[in-house]
Amino acid sequence: MNEHEIRQIVILGGGTAGWMAAATLANVLDAKRISITLVESDAIGTVGVGEATIPPILLLNRMLGIDENDFVAKTDATFKLGIEFVNWGGLGEAYLHPFGSYAVDIETLPLHHHWLRQRAYGYSVPLSKFSLMSQAAYGNRFMAPVTDNPRSVLASIAYAYHFDAGLVARYWREYAEARGVKRIEGKVLAVDQDSETGHVNTVTLESGEEVAGEFFIDCSGFRGVLIEGTLETGYADWREWLPCDRAVAQQSTKVGPAVPYTRSIAHGAGWQWRIPLQSRMGNGHVYCSEFVSDDEAASILADNMEGEALADPRILHFTTGRRRKAWNKNVLALGLSAGFLEPLESTAINFIQSGLARLLALFPDKRFNEADIEDYNERTAFEWEKVRDFLVLHYTATRRNDTPFWQYCQSIQRPDGLERRLAQYRGNGRVFREKGELFTEEAWLAVMNGQGIEPEGWDPIADRFDLQEMRRRLDSVHDLIGRAVESMPGHESYIAQHCKSPNAILQGA
Amino acid sequence: MSAPERISSIVIVGGGSAGWMTAAALSRFLPTHVAITLVESDAIGTVGVGEATIPNIATFNAMLGIDEDEFLSATGGTFKLGIEFRDWGRLGERYMHPFGQFGYDLAGTDFHHFWMRQRAEGVPHELAEYSLNTKAAYADKFARSDGDPRSPLAPMRHAYHFDASLYAAFLRRHAEGRGVSRIEGRVVDVEKKGESGHVQSVLLESGQKLSGELFVDCSGFRGVLIEQSLESGFESWRKWLPMDRAVAMPCEAVEPPRPYTISAAQRAGWIWHIPLQHRVGNGHVYCSEHCNSDEALAALEQALPGEPLAGPNHLHFEAGCRHEYWKGNCVAIGLSAGFIEPLESTSIHLIQTGIAKLLALFPDRSFHAPDRDEFNRLLRVSFEHIRDFIIMHYIASARDDSPFWQQMRQTEPPQSLSEKIALLEGYGRFSRNDEELFTLPNWLAVLHGQGRGPRFYSPMADAIPQANVTQGLDNMRAHIAKTVRAMPSHQDFLERFCKAAPARSAGTVQ
Repeated sequence: MNEHEIRQIVILGGGTAGWMAAATLANVLDAKRISITLVESDAIGTVGVGEATIPPILLLNRMLGIDENDFVAKTDATFKLGIEFVNWGGLGEAYLHPFGSYAVDIETLPLHHHWLRQRAYGYSVPLSKFSLMSQAAYGNRFMAPVTDNPRSVLASIAYAYHFDAGLVARYWREYAEARGVKRIEGKVLAVDQDSETGHVNTVTLESGEEVAGEFFIDCSGFRGVLIEGTLETGYADWREWLPCDRAVAQQSTKVGPAVPYTRSIAHGAGWQWRIPLQSRMGNGHVYCSEFVSDDEAASILADNMEGEALADPRILHFTTGRRRKAWNKNVLALGLSAGFLEPLESTAINFIQSGLARLLALFPDKRFNEADIEDYNERTAFEWEKVRDFLVLHYTATRRNDTPFWQYCQSIQRPDGLERRLAQYRGNGRVFREKGELFTEEAWLAVMNGQGIEPEGWDPIADRFDLQEMRRRLDSVHDLIGRAVESMPGHESYIAQHCKSPNAILQGA
Repeated sequence: MSAPERISSIVIVGGGSAGWMTAAALSRFLPTHVAITLVESDAIGTVGVGEATIPNIATFNAMLGIDEDEFLSATGGTFKLGIEFRDWGRLGERYMHPFGQFGYDLAGTDFHHFWMRQRAEGVPHELAEYSLNTKAAYADKFARSDGDPRSPLAPMRHAYHFDASLYAAFLRRHAEGRGVSRIEGRVVDVEKKGESGHVQSVLLESGQKLSGELFVDCSGFRGVLIEQSLESGFESWRKWLPMDRAVAMPCEAVEPPRPYTISAAQRAGWIWHIPLQHRVGNGHVYCSEHCNSDEALAALEQALPGEPLAGPNHLHFEAGCRHEYWKGNCVAIGLSAGFIEPLESTSIHLIQTGIAKLLALFPDRSFHAPDRDEFNRLLRVSFEHIRDFIIMHYIASARDDSPFWQQMRQTEPPQSLSEKIALLEGYGRFSRNDEELFTLPNWLAVLHGQGRGPRFYSPMADAIPQANVTQGLDNMRAHIAKTVRAMPSHQDFLERFCKAAPARSAGTVQ
């Protein structure tokens, strides 16, 4: 056996990040040889509100061997096919950023080039008609993709979940504890470091108990107890690009059937999320404190919430940005301790998940190879920066200038990579995904198109094809999608049949 | 939206592999009203010698609708499963760099970590025993995967050896069939537009003037347009790759063609052997600082496996690439874009990459600058990545038996390469960056083959019980051995499906 093997892992903090890490590690490591301890305090609240996710979450559940119907029922979850953005490109406008792709390539070209060409010649069918997920979302339909026929349109359904983050943490906790993860209740009082290397050796709890570890995962939230409090790793502040710095969150009663998409409504100095769960609705308002007060923000949320408030509003403060090194010495930061980006594209849980995937690919032993750690940090920085650019796109590629906040957004200097992407799209409508980047070509396209950016042209290669013939082909594509959607069950009836949550059953909903 | 000003005429300067691959691809994909003209001179020889390739050339051929058997038959081609490197790590040693994977991953952890764990526990099996390609290559066998992922042949990956001038002729038939017009002639002058500096026309020796809106420079090393006219500039990589000459000479085949290329390291370079159906292509790449042309030729003659079929062809080059591959209205594809010695058979791949990116970013007459910049960025990444992989062969050698090898040992690698090696030689980690051609199995095959490689394996490999690992790896080896036994010999396969058509030369083709 390897003498350098890590035998003691300590996870600091419960919540979504901590328990997701615990469940993942318990699944892949041999708990008989390696102890995994999670320290959390019931006295410290978690930030978790109604959470929306993106499709890679399905991989996590599959890896953990979790049954989807069980998971959805126990976390009060609903299905999600995309995000609707209201008032973003201009007041009164709406578009959907759907998961998955816009149908298929036609003659080796992405479909949207043919569509852009047709549009120049008077074609009026919107791009969203070519997305199965858009059509299904607005038709309030959902089903899991068919698996027995890969050629079926219904095999390409791409989706994620809306769920109750508190219930999800509990779900993963049960999973982790059943596989040998030990939970200790307590608050960290002191941290002991190796005098030579600066590695963390033990954390001392309020009770006096000392918890020793060889590798620490810091899931302590915004504060970053180990990564910042102890190791003083430093933080890159991104407010120059994304100025929102507060959110107010509040749950409300359910009104009408749960739709299979998140909604994001832009307001005068931020935006409001609406996340439908089976038994209630998660709401929140992300805003910029320079342009709107907490009270105003809370009342904007109250005025725009559809159901009755279920609790008092909670205000959260944050600084958008990223820990300079997510992995420093023997401490890895996951979750909010690694950085914060507003949940405009539902990426928070994905950052935890991709961090864990990278950790597994680069899992250390006691020698902590510096080249591995650098690689982890470089890839993390890349991933965060690309998502940041994607969010900046939403705020800066807009015609809104109706409030001081939106006027301010017009003056934001875009990061170079984003500027280049926009310039390329404005030419002949080209969109490329960089390797290792989270969001796909289709995601960039959906938002650039949805926010009203008009390319000057399209790929010249599309001119190879007869205009009328290609129009017929495009028509047959969206027609096929439309018919496929009609054959799908309603979102709520799918849930009722497969994965109804006990909360929703109690309500008789 | 106003109608964009589309390109309606394209001039390709230079035939050869680059010119005709470009012509064939553009005529396949561009709108049919775009006029494509290729100008080449029979008086200017092409550099193309026996050419070895890597598996993704099949994608290019498939894109053009080319049938594999017909193509091999027309080019005297053979199958290639990898490259055997002789005397590279140390004198007297050899290893195969195969295409495809080693073994398969267990529980999401890369295969090699388990192989290393087994080795640490005294299990003797070599990495090569887990490569279907290596085992088939050394048994002189070949079979084609039918694309079914459940087939035992699914892990097979193949490329080709072929006669590059016959390939150019083959593609010429395709391109001309799709309306490309060929003009015989030599470019003597280039006329540029005053304001934009774009190329307006090229003047041929005959006095004929060819105008175009887009020019593709496939004129080889000289870069008639991209360098001589547009002065794009050249970045030399000589400090890392000092080889600057080659001498090539074909010889008779004295044995059935092997399904792999051979690269034999020499005192100041290396010799290639590329088996075709009708002959063997040979060449010696060397560094003129340490070896003169007579010595180089003598070494090559001594290494020839059969009687020479032609006199020596001497070539000069410099490793490096153009500062801008696409400048103004001119795109350089092939040797005019840059040169990396053919140690890993990447020349055709770089042509293919240039064509694919040109198609993906095909311009209008406005020559939208962000698209051009993206092209230049992507090509740059492709070139540098391959450069690093080639440099690694030289610096990861223990040879110090000649001044050349002593010099290579002291070469300071580019930072991108040092980082990659540090990651791989620590805990066997590999992270693929964008547009990288060579991946973990490639780097591992060469590093391990040259007596280097990871020092430790990933702690994740300890998560699986020993008995399961042993059984998994035993199964993999047994599976490979059984699959190879069932394959026909390479020679039989060629005879049956792709026997060379009677020799045709480029000149007789319609």
